[in-house]
Amino acid sequence: MRSQAMFFRARSGEKLADQLLQRNLATVRNRFVDARAAAIARYEGDFEALRDSGQEIRDRVLANLDVWLETFEERACSSGAEVLYARDGDEICRLVTDIARRHGVTRAVKSKSMLSEEASLNQALAAAGIEPVETDLGEYIQQIDDNEPPSHILAPAFHKSKEQIAELFARTHGTPLKSDIAELTREAREVLRAHFVSAQMGISGGNFLVAETGSVALVTNEGNGRMVTTLPRVHVVITGIEKIVPTLEDLTTLLRLLPRSASGQDISSYVSVLTGVKAERDSDGPEHLYFILVDNGRAGLVGSEFQDMLRCIRCSACMNHCPVYQSIGGHAYGWVYPGPMGSVLTPLYTGIGNALDLPQASTLCNQCGSVCPVRIPLPDLLRRLREKQVDMGLRPRGERLALRLWAWVAARPVLYRVASAIGVRYLNWLADGTDRIRVMGIAPEWSAERDLPAPEGRTFRELYRHRSRQRSGNGPGSPHNRSV
Amino acid sequence: MKVGLFVTCVVDMMRPRIGFAALRLLEDAGCEVVVPMGQTCCGQPAFNAGDRASTRRLAAKLIGEFEALDYIVVPSGSCGGMIRKHFPTLFEGDADMSRRADALAGRTFELTDFLVSVLGVERVPGDFRGTVTYHDSCSGLRELGVKSQPRALLGLMPGVTVREMGEAEACCGFGGLFSVKYGDVSARIAERKCNDICAAAADAVVLGDLGCMLNIEGRLRRMGDERTRVLHIAEVLAGEDG
Repeated sequence: MRSQAMFFRARSGEKLADQLLQRNLATVRNRFVDARAAAIARYEGDFEALRDSGQEIRDRVLANLDVWLETFEERACSSGAEVLYARDGDEICRLVTDIARRHGVTRAVKSKSMLSEEASLNQALAAAGIEPVETDLGEYIQQIDDNEPPSHILAPAFHKSKEQIAELFARTHGTPLKSDIAELTREAREVLRAHFVSAQMGISGGNFLVAETGSVALVTNEGNGRMVTTLPRVHVVITGIEKIVPTLEDLTTLLRLLPRSASGQDISSYVSVLTGVKAERDSDGPEHLYFILVDNGRAGLVGSEFQDMLRCIRCSACMNHCPVYQSIGGHAYGWVYPGPMGSVLTPLYTGIGNALDLPQASTLCNQCGSVCPVRIPLPDLLRRLREKQVDMGLRPRGERLALRLWAWVAARPVLYRVASAIGVRYLNWLADGTDRIRVMGIAPEWSAERDLPAPEGRTFRELYRHRSRQRSGNGPGSPHNRSV
Repeated sequence: MKVGLFVTCVVDMMRPRIGFAALRLLEDAGCEVVVPMGQTCCGQPAFNAGDRASTRRLAAKLIGEFEALDYIVVPSGSCGGMIRKHFPTLFEGDADMSRRADALAGRTFELTDFLVSVLGVERVPGDFRGTVTYHDSCSGLRELGVKSQPRALLGLMPGVTVREMGEAEACCGFGGLFSVKYGDVSARIAERKCNDICAAAADAVVLGDLGCMLNIEGRLRRMGDERTRVLHIAEVLAGEDG
């Protein structure tokens, strides 16, 4: 997907002004948050210890990623799969269309794959004469809505209301308008069933790749993943190189973390662990299984100051809990991954200079870091990206000068004392005898929608010196008054 | 016990009475309080803006001013978090400065945390009467674990009733420079916080960080709420400075 992250400022403003979106966001805002909290409250074990284990497993993989990839490849191949590597999105598209051509594929059913969003795979397939059909309900909704990108990694149509979806279904399917969610789901299921049966190829993502067995693990709730991976003759798994876990035992640990952190479920409706092609004794399964393991920027993070980000298991807890995401939704972020994890990944994968706003557009409140199941220090990573922007000379001149001037003054106590006393008087002049400043020329973004309470009038150090002098009877000053 | 009071730059300029309230609380609890007069800013704005060099300079200055004292107490969760959590990460490759930063970090406390966890105070001088709701500032809460301490101290005041707001732990939208770079997003987050505050229908919202304080009061007043007082926890606990 071509990144639109450079338009964050304009788009976040549009999203704030979009009344319908704001209503939808308010409706769903706390759904995942509350569900997660309830799931953790129900959990009999120690969830914090579980997070430690999750982090440990992911770090163990990343410390020797090349070795684990080789192990995975060897095991997967010995069970009949073929393992391919893609450097970037274009290579994903080329590999998938090649596979499709080789097997005479005209229609491909897909379960959710964010990697295929990174690659804009659907467009490439369509251009090659292959019809891609999204079968995850949210992805399907987005596809029939003029291929609108997902706004959430777990719930692609998170930003849409039930009514909008009902209207979209009636318009697209030529059916009477429905209002019942179960009926809407049935309608989608009836449309999709025909595609499941007729498609020659299934494309899925992969939540985890298990090195010891050469398997892919899929965590889903709708059952479409099972259809996509077992009905068609050909199954293509597209996932990032970092998704490896060493053993099935490790997988069980991460499966305790992922659904609880994501949707607040103790376990998702479906967990599939798929190994190899259809064997003689199997009643179903693909005859051909391909793994496309994707770099697209990931390898560059290994061993870097951003390696922690590769622990991510794509649960969406960070965006669900983010006050910025909750206010503007996912589309303003402009690429595949929204929210805090996206604000780290988008600049790293698409270029720091192409996503200058994302690392800045955070209050660093650390809601994200405190819910992350694998303890990614998201605020630290965002701050590190800010440092990169400064080092690369990508911040506006005015901002750099202002900060340096502030630091220069703050390093000189006498100058600081004078400057702060003047500053306080200036703010008081702006307040014009009232208790607040309504318009601030130097910080218009602040005062557009809020006042600035006026300062008291004199600085602490002025008052403290005055008080110290009084207390010591106009003597030489308090003993603490040493530097100034 | 010599306790250094780091007033913070925002208290210095905007709300000196909070500095005096902190001073009074510490003195009332029997501390010998030292206010190094060369102190300015902890460097947090530069740190969060990605300017490491400036951050290091200001951090080194602060460390030099306070390290001879037994404790450093800060009436702000974010400045406290800056010294305690982030100073030790600033001096990679400089063993001496790293050691000094670590040593100071271990003796740095947010005000209410210090009063409860170190001093174990059992009475406070303030005589505030009314209903208050407490906003948990992000840095204090998530960097320093300040949650029960302010509530315990408010619990010592017979005239005070605490009525919790919804989502007390949610960010107010301030975020330092975020509030002037993305003012519209920031104000929207602040509005949600203010709605929760108003719904609690308390006489005052009480908190422990100046950024949140200015942000919340600014948004409340712009929304037309003239009634809800916005007070720093130190002001409530200390009462009027005599």
